[in-house]
Amino acid sequence: MNGKSRKIALHYFFEKVVRPLGFKFTPDAELMDFLLEQEVVLEGKHGVPFCPCQPLRHDRTRDMRIVCPCIPFHRKHFDAIKRCWCGLFVHTDVLDPDTLPQLSPKEAGLE
Amino acid sequence: MSEKFVRAISADEIASGGMKSVEIDGKEIVVCNCGGTFHAVQRRCGHMNAPLEMGTLDGKYLTCPMHCAQFDVESGHAISGPVPPDFGGEIPPPVFGEYLQNVGMLMTHVRTESIRTYVTKLEDGWALVAL
Repeated sequence: MNGKSRKIALHYFFEKVVRPLGFKFTPDAELMDFLLEQEVVLEGKHGVPFCPCQPLRHDRTRDMRIVCPCIPFHRKHFDAIKRCWCGLFVHTDVLDPDTLPQLSPKEAGLE
Repeated sequence: MSEKFVRAISADEIASGGMKSVEIDGKEIVVCNCGGTFHAVQRRCGHMNAPLEMGTLDGKYLTCPMHCAQFDVESGHAISGPVPPDFGGEIPPPVFGEYLQNVGMLMTHVRTESIRTYVTKLEDGWALVAL
């Protein structure tokens, strides 16, 4: 398996999914590269590119909610913080992702 | 050594995003039309030999119809292995479950190899492949 090619492929496939949702890849190229690399590792281990920043619970129903891009499953939360939990995707209008705080649903006032 | 290009298929026989298999000199080849750019790869999947032209092509990424292993048709790199089977909350019938368990055990020993690519060019409306 070629990890570098897989990273490029994941970028290609994810772009198609997140664009219509109003998100784009983070402009932070280093972070993007690192997160995609972790997803390639997770995919190699589990067969599925899970979010690298959320814990696997070995409960299929819950784990399927963190398959990247997991935006549709956490729409309200991610729309409130204008980024996904790990920061791989941000709202299309975001130019500086460093200004976006990583807030839990509770901190974002959603609970 | 100069490459010997042979006519593989008429370019207008493959719509954009489509694939077709051809046999030239005993070699099974799949010609892929990636949005007007043609690529040719070996027909057999690098995982379990399924015929790749029966899969799907998205951009330059080919997904095998059998276990969804994926390949980059430009480089031939295997980019993803088989998708793990999942029956959700359902428990398969006992005999079938046993069969799946055995197959699953065997599958863990099967590697997904990269596939061979062939240099391809378009000339006079034909996709030419270098053998």
